[in-house]
Order: sequence, then C-alpha cells, then structure tokens
Amino acid sequence: MSPLGSGGASLDRHLATLDDATQSLAAASPFGKQVKLSRVLGALRRVLLLPGGCAAVRARAAQLDSAGLFLGTDWARPQILIPSLSGGSLRSANADTVVLETVSDLRLLAVAKGEYVHALVSAEQAFHHLSQVLAINLSLLFTPPTEAERAQQGRMAQVPRELMRHLVEEVGYEKVLENLVDEIWRILRQRPIQVDSVKQMITQIAVARSNPDIDLGAGALGADRLISSIYGTTDACREDPGVEVYRTRLETMDDSALQYETAGFARSMHDTGLVSPYHAVLLRFLLGKGEYHLAEALGLSSTGRECLLCYHELVRRLIYEAVHVETAQCIYGLALLLERGILYQPPVAPALWRQLALQLSPHATERLTQVFGPAPDARARLLAGMLSILGQPLGVGQGDNPTCQSARALSMWSYNDPDYLLQTLAWAARDDEVVMHFEGESISSRDSVSGVATELPMDLDPVSVLIVPHLDRIYAEMGRRCVGRDGDPHRWINPEFHGWWSGRGFRINVDVATGNLTDLDEFLRHFYASYHPFYNKNQPLIHPQPAGVAVTDSAARFVGWHAITILRVALDPQDRMRVYFYNPNNDSGQDWGDGVVVGTAGHAERFGEASLPFEQFASRLYIFHFDPLEPGELASVDRDELDSVIGYVHRSWGADRLPA
Amino acid sequence: MEIAETLRDMGVDVAIPIFEETVEWAGAINSVLLNNPRLFGQAMLLRDKALMKRRAQLGGIRVGIFEEAHERDDVIRFLKRVNQTLLKLDGDPNDPIHVKAFDKAGCLGHRVIRTPDEIDTIPDDEFPVLMESHLDGWEFAVEAWIHDGKIRFLNISEYVTLGYSVFVPATPELEQYRPEITRQVERLIKTFDIDFGFVHPEYFVTSDGEMYFGEVAYRPPGFKVFELLERSYGFNAYHGLVLAFDPKTTEDEIEAFFPKEVVDAKGHAGCFGVYPRRRVVSQLSVPDETEDHDYFETHELTAPLAEKVTKRTAFGNHWGLLYFFGDDPYTLRDLLKRQEELDFYI
Repeated sequence: MSPLGSGGASLDRHLATLDDATQSLAAASPFGKQVKLSRVLGALRRVLLLPGGCAAVRARAAQLDSAGLFLGTDWARPQILIPSLSGGSLRSANADTVVLETVSDLRLLAVAKGEYVHALVSAEQAFHHLSQVLAINLSLLFTPPTEAERAQQGRMAQVPRELMRHLVEEVGYEKVLENLVDEIWRILRQRPIQVDSVKQMITQIAVARSNPDIDLGAGALGADRLISSIYGTTDACREDPGVEVYRTRLETMDDSALQYETAGFARSMHDTGLVSPYHAVLLRFLLGKGEYHLAEALGLSSTGRECLLCYHELVRRLIYEAVHVETAQCIYGLALLLERGILYQPPVAPALWRQLALQLSPHATERLTQVFGPAPDARARLLAGMLSILGQPLGVGQGDNPTCQSARALSMWSYNDPDYLLQTLAWAARDDEVVMHFEGESISSRDSVSGVATELPMDLDPVSVLIVPHLDRIYAEMGRRCVGRDGDPHRWINPEFHGWWSGRGFRINVDVATGNLTDLDEFLRHFYASYHPFYNKNQPLIHPQPAGVAVTDSAARFVGWHAITILRVALDPQDRMRVYFYNPNNDSGQDWGDGVVVGTAGHAERFGEASLPFEQFASRLYIFHFDPLEPGELASVDRDELDSVIGYVHRSWGADRLPA
Repeated sequence: MEIAETLRDMGVDVAIPIFEETVEWAGAINSVLLNNPRLFGQAMLLRDKALMKRRAQLGGIRVGIFEEAHERDDVIRFLKRVNQTLLKLDGDPNDPIHVKAFDKAGCLGHRVIRTPDEIDTIPDDEFPVLMESHLDGWEFAVEAWIHDGKIRFLNISEYVTLGYSVFVPATPELEQYRPEITRQVERLIKTFDIDFGFVHPEYFVTSDGEMYFGEVAYRPPGFKVFELLERSYGFNAYHGLVLAFDPKTTEDEIEAFFPKEVVDAKGHAGCFGVYPRRRVVSQLSVPDETEDHDYFETHELTAPLAEKVTKRTAFGNHWGLLYFFGDDPYTLRDLLKRQEELDFYI
C-alpha cells in the first residue's frame, strides 16, 4: 500500500489515470457523459491532493473543459460565475463540488495566463474573477482547517488551500488586496448590523500585512483605513496598545485631547460603519463628563444632539448597560437611533426604560449566552442588539436561514413602528411567547408546532436570535390556516403579520395552481398606478410595503420567491425612476441576470437600501399590496415601456411560465 | 408488432436488448425486422431459467440438479431430495439449494436455502421459482460477443465474492481454463442457435476441473463489467454490442474493433459493491485505507437517504460500486476481498 504524497511517481500514475478517464469522457456522447464523469472526478480528487497537483490540472484544464467535465453545471458558462459563491463551493462537504470549483478556477487561471483561449471569457475577465475569488477566500491562505471543516470535508479541506496558494503565486497579493478592500467597502456601504465577517477579513489583512514574507504591494495602502478603523483609530491608540493601556491614557488627557479623540472615532465610525473597541472604552469614560463630549463621540448632528440632550439620562443608562468592548458596534446603532429622532415618539423612551429593567427568561438568557458567549451578560447583549436594530432598521439580515419573512418584519417594525418592535422584544425575551392575531383569532408562538426553519438560527443579531423563531412559527401557522384557500396565502398573511399599514389589496401575476404567468399587462399597469410617481399623481410611498420578487441568478434563471420591502420610489441623480427597497438577504448587491444588477450605492441609495430602475424592478416583482380604497385605475403606461418590462420577464423567470 | 413496424419504417435494422426485461421485446422486434420468427422463441428461451437449463441439458451441457417450484412445498421436497441424494443423514447440516426467480436479472430474487424455515421467508409473489443444487466450486462469468456464429471476443470475469466483487481479465489460474471455456461457449451457441449478438453465461468449475453451466443471459452483465472492460482494454463494450448484433457488420469491421483477449489488456479492472454493514448509518465515509490505495479509482456511492438500513432480502441491491484498476490481478483480488471487511457507511 503506497501512501499518498510519496512523490512524483504517484502523481504520474494518477495523472495517467486522469488522462485516461478524460479521454473516455471526451469520447462519450453527451447523454453518456454522466457515466464517465465519476472516474474523472475521482482521478481529479486524488491528483489535487498531491503536491504539484494544481499545476498538473491547470495544464490539462483545456482538455478537461472540452471533454465536458462541466457540462450541465453552472461552471459550463464561466461568464456567469459569481466569485462570492466560490466560498461555499470550496467549503462544500461534497467532494465533487470542491473538485469542480477548483478545476474551474485553475481553468480560469490558464485562461488568464493566455495558456487557454476560451470562447466565453477573456483573459482579463478570468484574471478579475480569480482575484475576487482569492480575496473572498483569503482566510484559506492563512488559517489551517477548522474543526468543523475537517469534520465536513476531511482531507479535501486541503484542496482549496492548495488552490489558493497556487492562485496567489500567479495572481499576486496586490490584486487580491485591492479586490478584497473593494469587497469590504461594498458590504460596509450597506451598513449591516452584523459586521463580524467583515472584521475577520480586515483582521486577516492586518495579519498578512505584518508578515514580512508577504509582499502586499500597493494594495496595502487602501486597506489602511479599514484596519485603523478597528485597531488604531486615533493617536492615542494608533499602535493598538490594548484597552487597559488606552483607558489609563484617557485619564491623563485634557479637554482638547479628548476632543481630538472623540472627533477621530466619530469620523471613522460614520465613515466606515465600523466601531473600534477603543471607542467603547472612550464612551464609557465620557459618562463621567458632560453631554458635549458624548455628542461629539457619537458624531451627532444637531438633530441627534437635541435628542441626546432631551433624553440624556436614558442615553447614559443605555451606554452604561449596553456599551462594552465586546459590544462596541452598538455605538453606531445608538448614534443613528438618536439621529432618527424616534425617541420623540411618545412610547419609545418608556419602552426603552422597560427594556433596561427587563428580566430575561432563563431560556432567552441561555440562547443569548449560547450564541454570543458569556461576557458581557445576555441582558447587555440584547440591549446592544436592540440599539443596533433601532438605529439600523435596514441592516437586519436573515443569515443563512429561510426566514426572510421574519427578518423583513423586524426591519419594517424598526423602520416604521419601533414601539411595536420593542413590545414584541419584551414578550419574546421575558415571556418566551409572542402572540399575534390572524383574522380575529390569536396565534401564540408557543402553540405552533414548527416554522419554516427547521433549526434554531445561530448566525443572527441578538434581537433576531430571540424573536425570529417566534415569528417564524407564527408565520408558518398563518400559512397553515390558509390551507385550502384559492390563490397565494400572502394575500391574507402579509397585512396581519406585518402591520395595519400593509395594503389589504393584493395583486399577483402568477397563477398559483399552474405556476404560469397571468394578467401580466394589468398587473404591471396596476403596479405603475400604485407606486410610480408619474402615474399616481406624484404621491410618494407613505408606508413601507411588503412585496414579493422572483429572484433570478446571474444567468437570469429562476432561483426562488423572496420577501422584500418597497421603501420608496424616486428619481435618481441620473433622472431615472428607481425603486428603493429592503432585501433581508445579507448582501443586497446581487446580479439578477439579463443586465438587472441590484445597486446598493451610487444611485442615491440610503445605507442598507437596494435599488433598481423601475421597469427592471417591475420585471422581477410577482406580488404587491395596495390600498383597496384608492381609485385603482390602471395606469396608461406606454406600450413600449410595458413591452420592455415584459421582455425582461420573458427572458428570465417567466421564460417557462408562459401560459399555454 | 406496432413497435417493430414503426421501427422498421424508421430504418432500424436490429433491436439490441440492454436490460433483462427487454430481452424478449428485442426478440419479438427482431423476429419482425429480420423476418425470422424463431428469434422470438429463442429470446423466450433465454429469459426463462427453467427452459434455459433444459435446453442446455438437451445440448449435452453439464448442469446441476434443478427443478421448478410453484409453491413452498415444492421447495421443501427439493431440499430433502437433494440432501438425500448426497447421502446425508437426519441431523447432518444440509447442503444448501439456490432459489431464483424465473425471469429476473442477476442476483435479484436469488436466495440460498439451507433449512425449511428459510423457505417461509420467500414472499408469495416470487413464485414460481427455479431451484438448483449447490455446486461447490469456483463461479465465474463469461461475456462473449458473437457474430456470424463465431466468438469474436470472449472475456472471463472472475468473481471474488458472488454479489460483491468482480474483476477482468481473470487471474492466470482461471485463464488457464480459457480453451475449455471457449469450447463450452461454442457448444452453448450451437445449442441455443445463436448467430449473432452477445451472451453472458455463468459457470462453475468444480475442484476436479469439471465445468458446470449455471445460466445464461442475452444482455449486458450487471456490476458494470462493460465499464471494467473499457477501462482494461480501452474499447467501448456497448459499441461492440452494436457491431455484434448488427448482421450487416462486415468481417473487417469486427476484426478491427475487438482487441486480443488478455494480452491487449492494459491492466486489471475490478469493482466492489458496497452494502452497509451496520443497522443504522448516518454518513458515507470511504475508509482512508481504500481511498489511499494506488489501485483505487473512484466510487459512485451517495450519502445515505435513510438512517435505518433495511434488512437485505435475498442478495439484494448494493448501495453503489467502488472501482479499482491495477497491474497485478492478485493484489486486485485481495484488495477486493479486503473491502468486505470495511465500513463505508457509519
């Protein structure tokens, strides 16, 4: 028995096997490829595990490609591949997926280097793609497999690491960092509540930069601002001295030095959306000083400052209870909460006092401790999470869970009805029960058996961790009560679930029984009449409205139905009518194919908003709500414009839904 | 009739059976396409294990003792008779008998019966069945491509363990019987009046070198033997099937297509059928020992769909195959044998 890695002889042997398998795959007719594929994949898996395997496979990339290795998969069309999805493929428990992704990347490397001329991607595109893949999977270069990866992937966990090493040798760190920094900024511009993964990426850059063996080139400069926003924001913590040292330094500072510190942190926080742990130390220290320094440290405008002054006792208590080194990120939430002025809504301030005094149920305490660790305690975690969600209603993400409905509800309540959100949070945290009403009957989250998600979510913010399981069960129960009714149940669920302001009028362009498109013309005219300012007498949208979109992938193929919130419709700086919406998915910047690319910045989006030109948005919409008491005349939209929208529909998710 | 005429109008020359169940269909269609009504009868003969054995016996081919059973009592009587013939006394362990469904492929419905109790485990819907005495010996299979009444390529597939593993070409120990095996297959072709096509008979060699006929199928063998042949010789066995079945294929085409047995093989290819060994399994886990072996190529196992392993009835179906390829037949044989002791599902 000869162990793997015994050297060149073994590699040659396996390469011979691979070549033989590739030939027989190439010789097979398209319907027979499936049978021959497993041998090629098996041979590839073994070659990739050996030293020099990546280079050998790269040299064979063209043959493998033309033999039909990728036939019938997304990798067959490299031009539609999305770099950010490579992370999932490379960490997949399915060895074949890892192999396909790896070979595809090696193929693109061959294309980028001009060794392989591909009909569908150019060398530049390939190079660009690879540098993004590298940027996203940078952790694979610096960290050994985690326990989870080892358990899931076994030895295969080494393959993506080998791939990254091989890629980075060819592509170079400089390009990688540039892309990584771009990617981080792109995510940060959406101002998510959860920034742990972003912080991890930044930490990796910082680690790489301190390693003299790695030449980061000019790319390192762009990363500076990100690194300093966490580890060395101001003069007094430039060299990352540790929080204890920083605290002692603060004690010796005079007013003007403090002023300098506060301004530095505030600028950095509003600039990046990231909060340094030192910022928390500073803010706690400032509790002993006057309101002026607090306002400066939060970077408040006159609105926020006004609010702080009105509710200074509440704000101090909130800082005292919620802001710790571990929960520093909530400072940004607090600043935005004050800027939103929601404390002026009569119930909000008392509700926050209730939250400050709230006794958490043992279950809630356990859940929070389980997800976020023991320090600071569960109550502080929850308060911090509450500040974030109230300050950043559009920063709520659903994590890796099928609970877009619940995430959307939380976001909508924070945005439109913070008092109700706080009420629900109190119920969930104190009573382990949320009760909602559906058509006059009460539904308790305790009595409902199961929700959409099968497992308790772990990858969410503290408020979502507690509330989402309740909401999810209630949502599923509402669905069960609609069983047997004609049409889509969201007609009844959405208004009851989200709030009175969701229009009771309901329009869908898919026939639920057949899945085919129906009444597309009228659907669109009605949508224009309800939402487009040029067709509704210039009435801006008043309340956020739930809507359903058919999400498509970068090849414009249908992926699934998704819940979003329409926030506003307005002209963008280029005078193009755009729909601005909230997507509970963690990253709104998505390519939906056929030229429909969801924008997150650069088109007058507010932080956390996604946007599309009106007709492109309309082309992915399948459900919307309206006020049935409005006149509801169909808009007389130009035939050309309608045809353009319908064209988008027919070229994407509607392609195989045309009524017979 | 309608299928045959439709196919003829479309310009089809011949129908080739791929699965056991299609043998008589192909026979029926070919009797129309080739205007030879006897082909249908021949196909039926090759489908019915009892008829097949009788025909072989008539042709002077050695077979074991066999009988048809229509109900459980028949099986009990046969089991007693066989052991009586073997001069066993009451209380001696019985020699087993084999029970096979009449018209199923390979190991489907194949059971080994030693005691009358076991007879009760045969479900009603498997009757009628064919019963055979057990032959102690070396079981192997043959794949023979026949064109114009002559054998054009004859492969001997060596079973390491019936129902678990097979490899091609066979070890020299088995290959030494090639001349005798060729004679046996030629006799089989004559007995069954096969002019063209492909047969897949099974034989036993007993310790005294005597060869017994087991059964024959008129279609490609299971356990992916065709893939193994392709791996070993580099020719597409299905392609060979098409050539052999087509009466229009010329002598030159046949000559050019098939390699020379054994000497042209690039190595030995084998496969192993995995059955979960535990009653409850949660995941697929190919042992490192297997994965690291130089001969190991690939597997087609999939993650378990159910945690509980259903009890195997008869020989049952394996959960997927492992493929091996290497130069030395003995290493390969031992390797295949070794796999039986490993867990692939834990």
